[in-house]
Amino acid sequence: MRIAVCWKWVSLDRDHDVDERWAGVSAADEAALEIALLLRDAFDDCDVEVICLGPKDADDVLRSALAVGATSARRIDASAELDGHTVSAALADHLHGADLVVCGDYSIDRGTGSVPVFLAAELGAAQALGLIDVDLASAATMPLRVVRRLDGGRRELLDVSLPAVLSVEGSVARLRRAPLAASLASRSIAIAAVPGPHGRPAEAEVHPYRPRARTLPAPTGGPLTRVREILDIGGDDGHAETVTLDPPAAAGRILDQLREWGY
Amino acid sequence: MPEQTTVDAIVVGAGPAGSAAATVLARHGYSVILLERGSFPGSKNMYGGVVYPRILDQLHPEWWLEAPIQRWVTRRSTMVLTDTQAVTVDFRSTDWGAPPYNGATAYRPDWDHWLAGKAEADGALLVCSTTATGLLRDGSGRVVGVTTDRPDGDLHARVVIACDGVNSFLAKEAGLYGEVDAANYTLGVKETIALPKDVIDERFAVRGRDGVDIEILGGTSGVNGGGFIYTNLDTLSVGVVLKLPKLGAQKLRPEQIIANLKAHPAIAPLVEGGEIKEYSAHVIPEAGLSMMPTMTADGMLVAGDAAAMCLAAGIWLEGVNFAMASGMYAGEAAAEALEAGDTSAGGLAGYERRLNDTFVLRDHRKLHRAPALVLSDRVQHRYPAMIANTVERMFRVDNPSPKPGLRRILNEERKRAGVRIRDLAKDTLDGLRTFG
Amino acid sequence: MSGAPTGERWPELSFEDLIATTRFDIHERAHITVDDAICADCSTRECVVACPANLFVPTSDGGILFNYEQCFECGTCYLLCNKEGAITWTYPEGGHGVVFKRT
Repeated sequence: MRIAVCWKWVSLDRDHDVDERWAGVSAADEAALEIALLLRDAFDDCDVEVICLGPKDADDVLRSALAVGATSARRIDASAELDGHTVSAALADHLHGADLVVCGDYSIDRGTGSVPVFLAAELGAAQALGLIDVDLASAATMPLRVVRRLDGGRRELLDVSLPAVLSVEGSVARLRRAPLAASLASRSIAIAAVPGPHGRPAEAEVHPYRPRARTLPAPTGGPLTRVREILDIGGDDGHAETVTLDPPAAAGRILDQLREWGY
Repeated sequence: MPEQTTVDAIVVGAGPAGSAAATVLARHGYSVILLERGSFPGSKNMYGGVVYPRILDQLHPEWWLEAPIQRWVTRRSTMVLTDTQAVTVDFRSTDWGAPPYNGATAYRPDWDHWLAGKAEADGALLVCSTTATGLLRDGSGRVVGVTTDRPDGDLHARVVIACDGVNSFLAKEAGLYGEVDAANYTLGVKETIALPKDVIDERFAVRGRDGVDIEILGGTSGVNGGGFIYTNLDTLSVGVVLKLPKLGAQKLRPEQIIANLKAHPAIAPLVEGGEIKEYSAHVIPEAGLSMMPTMTADGMLVAGDAAAMCLAAGIWLEGVNFAMASGMYAGEAAAEALEAGDTSAGGLAGYERRLNDTFVLRDHRKLHRAPALVLSDRVQHRYPAMIANTVERMFRVDNPSPKPGLRRILNEERKRAGVRIRDLAKDTLDGLRTFG
Repeated sequence: MSGAPTGERWPELSFEDLIATTRFDIHERAHITVDDAICADCSTRECVVACPANLFVPTSDGGILFNYEQCFECGTCYLLCNKEGAITWTYPEGGHGVVFKRT
């Protein structure tokens, strides 16, 4: 069994220039490693490899990955501003044979989250993206049960068979802390680097966002009806209701509704 | 069972004191771990904004070629404010804008990060994101290491140097502090306000890398303390220092006191139109000598703010230099003790000897009356009006009335401010004895 | 003290906007806890006015609501607090809490 965790190292400082103090990987990337480490315990004889795209400065985060228990770490030497397609192609070269690939849903420079999509395509693997929960117990029985965030507070339960690519949100798990001795020992480890893509991404043509024109009938009824029409929440499907309650009861009602919507 | 990690020395806190101590120990060839609870050195540290790095001549000669400073202070002003008046004493020197320089404005996340980098380059092992949570002691009570918040986080060492800042829980745990009294502390609060460099140059009448240090008495909305404005390259540091018990006993919040200072007619033209980039706060050990802890225990030394090394003496407001110096001397004394194989309190006595023989404690002894005098109610609440009204009447042309004599104005204004001759004489004498 | 009007309007920030200029890497463990029961008996409540991060909020039932998230880790609250045991104060988990950038 082989689990690969893909990281993107980004350097962002107070003025968005290169500065090691504000460099690193995102909380989502860290959560991806934690999920991989937790899943490792559920599978027999399982390796967790962390692969990180970035310059030599990124070696430090890879050492910290080894300190928390990753089996191995590898850096693909690459420049910063690459598009998702180039990044995923470079990663895929090293991922053939991986049973499970776990990525963070976003990097610290708030990328598009497209790399996992491209990766799944490159690898011909199943994909489950933007996960907010991974059921660790399901790893013993397979398929893996995961929960995905949908719009409007809805949730999607997915059963994922391997090989698969997952991307997780930062809230899924907090990366464990490295034991002090392991952290100190990792300082002297040399990180293996392989050559990767360099250069700037092709400039994409950017157009201003133009929503499609939509014709609305002349307003009828009272203001509430009008608001419903504009918000497209209709009048009869029970989505909006008017209640008159005292403040504690109103708060309770709101909380109940939010819970029902899955918050 | 993980292997026990043992080094010659642990330095807790990679601020100016800790990095100086670690540098000295590493240069003596000892294995030293420099622990920092922030994600990088300086990330937890805040101060007014001016550092006096002369002591670095001994540790990093020609430090000015690489130190991350914002501007060299070539102009120092002391302002006395009332609601509607301002008296300013202004000094400038071109000498302070050239090597070997005097003071400089700098950001602590830059300065401390740089100093820690120097310690690392000399061989200290910097471990960030790791909080020291307590002391390890042997059966006799001797300090033999620290616990940290990492899994299996115990660290053993022959000597521990606590540079863990003003709250120093390590020094308190070791019993080096007596009763902790809020009256010994002030709260520093500041805004970092961005303005274009040329606007700052114009408003403060400086050029290039030259900068200004303005200390303000009477601008703290009636709370005992002081205000300050320092120029960075393209930001201003604007803030106040407030005596804790006085702050707690009234109704204005710290950010409101800064807002009031910024709205003062003498200050507003300097700061207006800027964008606030950061709001920060930190506690200052203000009382100097009278609050200092015992400096050594068996296996342990205390330096920097952890040892209350700030010099808050009105016209002299220094801290980072005392931290760097005390850290350096702690490092030397620890190296000496390690060499001799005796890191008991007796073996570490070289630390206190060095502090006593140098500016670190000599300045503090000389100025030991200053913090109380500067923060006293008369200096804070009565003298500003007395001084400003005296100056106003000196310079007011009140024709056809003839000019009154200066002595008469001073006497009348003294009475109007409610200052008794006896108290004025006493404070003058205190001032002369303190600063003279 | 109140300054004379300058004629120009100072773009006043709300406290929330002011403290939003500071970066905090928040950990889920509260590093400071406040014992509401002890605060209920406190008449001075110096923490409420003095905390530079405005983390202590009096509640209508006489208690204190405390948030640890945007804490400068300065120590003002425990230094001023005169109620034994009301405030339990530690530093946040290593690598978390306030991150100063230019101060």
